[in-house]
Amino acid sequence: MTASTPAAGIGASTRRRDGAALLTGRARYVDDYRPHGLHYAAVVRSTVAHGRIRSVDVSGAETAPGVVLVLTGEQAARHAGPIPYFISPATRGGREVDIRCLEPELVTYVGQPVAAVVARSRVEAQSAAAAVRVEYDSLPHVLDADTALLPDSPRVYPDWQDNVVFAKTYGAGDAEEALHGADVVVSGEFRIARSTTAPVEPRGYVASWDATDEALTVHGSCQNPHQLRYMLSASLGLAESAIRVVTAKIGGSFGLKMQGLPEETLVCLLSMLSRRPVKWIEDRRESLMSGAREQIHRIRVGAKADGTITGLVNRIVADAGAMTAQAGWAMCNMSASTFPSGYRVPDCRVELRLVATNKPPLSAARGFGKDAAHFVMERAVDLVARRLALDPGEVRRRNFIRAGEFPYRTATGLNIDSGDFAGLLDKAQAAIDYPAVRELQRRRREQGRPLGVGIAFELTPESSDSPGTFVSGFDTTTVRMSLTGRVTVLTGVTSPGGGNDTGIAQIVGAELGVPVEWIDVVQGDTDRCPTGFGNFSGRSMVVGGGSAALAARDVRATLRTVGARLLERDPEACEVVDGTVRSVSEPDCAVPVPEVAHAVLTRAFAAAAEVEPVLESTRAYKPGNIDHRPDELGRIQPYPTYSSCLHIAVVEVDAETGKVDVVDYAMAHDCGTMINPDLVEGQAWGAITMGIGSALTEQLVFDAGGRLVSDRFKSYLLPRAGDVPEFRLEHQVTPSPFTMHGNKGAGEAGVGGAQAAVANAVEDALAPVGACVRSLPLTPPVVLDLIEEATR
Amino acid sequence: MQPIRLTVNGDKHEVTVDPRDLLVYVIRERIGLTGTNVGCLTGDCGACTVTLDGRTAKSCSVLAVTADGSEIRTIEGLASPAGLDPVQEAFWKENGFQCGYCLPGMLLATRELLDEDPDPAEEDITRTIDGNLCRCTGYTTILRAVRTAARRAQHRDERPERP
Repeated sequence: MTASTPAAGIGASTRRRDGAALLTGRARYVDDYRPHGLHYAAVVRSTVAHGRIRSVDVSGAETAPGVVLVLTGEQAARHAGPIPYFISPATRGGREVDIRCLEPELVTYVGQPVAAVVARSRVEAQSAAAAVRVEYDSLPHVLDADTALLPDSPRVYPDWQDNVVFAKTYGAGDAEEALHGADVVVSGEFRIARSTTAPVEPRGYVASWDATDEALTVHGSCQNPHQLRYMLSASLGLAESAIRVVTAKIGGSFGLKMQGLPEETLVCLLSMLSRRPVKWIEDRRESLMSGAREQIHRIRVGAKADGTITGLVNRIVADAGAMTAQAGWAMCNMSASTFPSGYRVPDCRVELRLVATNKPPLSAARGFGKDAAHFVMERAVDLVARRLALDPGEVRRRNFIRAGEFPYRTATGLNIDSGDFAGLLDKAQAAIDYPAVRELQRRRREQGRPLGVGIAFELTPESSDSPGTFVSGFDTTTVRMSLTGRVTVLTGVTSPGGGNDTGIAQIVGAELGVPVEWIDVVQGDTDRCPTGFGNFSGRSMVVGGGSAALAARDVRATLRTVGARLLERDPEACEVVDGTVRSVSEPDCAVPVPEVAHAVLTRAFAAAAEVEPVLESTRAYKPGNIDHRPDELGRIQPYPTYSSCLHIAVVEVDAETGKVDVVDYAMAHDCGTMINPDLVEGQAWGAITMGIGSALTEQLVFDAGGRLVSDRFKSYLLPRAGDVPEFRLEHQVTPSPFTMHGNKGAGEAGVGGAQAAVANAVEDALAPVGACVRSLPLTPPVVLDLIEEATR
Repeated sequence: MQPIRLTVNGDKHEVTVDPRDLLVYVIRERIGLTGTNVGCLTGDCGACTVTLDGRTAKSCSVLAVTADGSEIRTIEGLASPAGLDPVQEAFWKENGFQCGYCLPGMLLATRELLDEDPDPAEEDITRTIDGNLCRCTGYTTILRAVRTAARRAQHRDERPERP
């Protein structure tokens, strides 16, 4: 697969191109932009979980020092329409509500934006915002999804008949019949608490309205600049050509900074109305309001006595919080369709209900719902192993899709491109020395010290294309060479901090035959880059890399034609290598690429006669294996590639305090061809750590009134360096047949697998007392309860 | 409002501040050095770390008036005209960052550790990094970078690797 593509550069761990700028503090994040005359915004947020706005008194704010504008929801609605959905629920048969940048009427969660202030300084804006008086007629609220499904529950949106946003059943075969015929049926109710992505840089936007030119420039920490431009055009009624969106250097994102959030429109509107550049950077409390996941699964799995899984029935209740135009609400789709993961379970039925509650909305989050499927599926596989007294590794091995069966269509319709799941298990078990760790466990148990080993498989569908949405499975890149041979790559994919620009430069260098140092990569600027879709779903190297390669090949062809002419050789007998055009058979017969570029661009009627004198190409790349035509069961195939990995976590549980320590961890990972192994490893380690956090310490906690109480890093606990072991990472490469370089998405895999592996390890540690892990996170009080419940 | 004097990365500044102004905002917005970042304003994440009279401090938790007369080093002051500090080189080599937002704390805390002890014990390395949050890397490469920087600190005669 990869043998035919130039190998130089691809597969090398080239270090980060932007390292010097980041390491010396020169990189510019959104908060570092300070246009002349800058003013600051602060947002007034709902203090009730559910209610109708009776009055908004801005008199105190308007007269406060430094204030130039106070805006209410009612006023904003005169200037800005609803925000278009990134993924419209209506396209999935679901319900929608209008999402406004400031809610004029009905608030549905504590923290919803209802008014805003612009002032000379941040402190003045915040002080004035505190002086805005909003009165509400409170309505009954509902904070948990099960309650919200009861017939007498308060309705989050009073004109809906119930609180169900969206309901759908996935699967194939006859799952109930399969369970009926099984030797054993295991069942359980599993709960995943609300956690959040929490990048260290919060979201923020700087909007500058030029009243003379009637043009808007927006700098934002945002993953999707072109979608944001469209959204601003629609909500503000401006021509797209009047809007420039620049996504600054981004300080981590993980889905949080996908487009569709009210403050995007709000900050722009504030700039237009105040006729000043306006900056808004959310504070940590605001940032922590965005949920990443919250679901309840009620699953039954049937198996034969030898551990072969025969059927699966799962009922999912996903808690959406309030509605959002961002992609977050749609994550539950992937929770459902990722079942039954990488196992052969032809009889499978998953029923999903997404339920609105009076909590803040979900924002997209690394894992995009697939994480929940892995926590639950891997728990279920462990329950089968336990019931049958089989090794959990062996039960997985027995049920994995075999390496020779790809492409394999799952019961929910996903067409898995390639993989070797048993191979991953072998590698992970070797990395952790599985027999030795089981022996260690035996000795520790003799000493009365609980140590557990948890295994989890994780399948990560990547590079999605979702019909009728902004989730596009292709992207576009321009490669441009200047007179001096410098290369500018302008791409529609963006980097939230992972460094895909380095990988794209490696691909362009390899395809073009020039050193990577000659290449500049421009991302996240709607005035410079071709229309694209930004960053999500592990797509950047698949479609950004693929489109960059196609464009680079076009430029290389022109270089070769004109270079060959300068060498007086046949183009077919020439190649572009190491920054020269040279004869394949006579390597000393060579001309430097800059000289060729100069000839193409200045000697159009001589050296470049009959050649179109352009060293620039814009190409789009569409991977294979995407099919939107529903089959007889209504299933579509939205993903070209499926990364896979196998996690083994080793934990110690302190039975006195309930504290869980992850003491060892191995992951065998397969994302196909790796463009830059160091970047892949960095993504994997970060994702595992995020998974460990949501498995052990991270939880958004709300009081009875719907107010977030875990609103800072003292109460929302991210893993620190001392909380995680150094990870053992093994690579396996099964190239995707459906992408240009054989690569699959990298970056999301790790969250769900780590949650599952840690949960399974904690249960394994507590196996002597017979505890069953049913929820995340496993905070010390939860673990103590598990122990007490099991020993009672 | 009150005038204060700060020496930042060797340059002397006199600025007039409100007694409520946090040092991080004075450095970022008055001095104009934006390499020091704001992450939480509660002293938990470390993105705002500077060296204040020789000790690392979270500048979001320091009132600027209390820093009057002090010597401050920010992330911008870590490299010298001769090139990057060995700590910066080690973080680059080991991929000890992704988005880079947490680097002020990671780099300055490591520099402080190695200034005090060029051969730190493993638990001292972990404790040094523990006060700084990173959401991207999972810390493995950061801990490797600190160890690499320590090894280099012990072999100062060796030339740092070229970028």
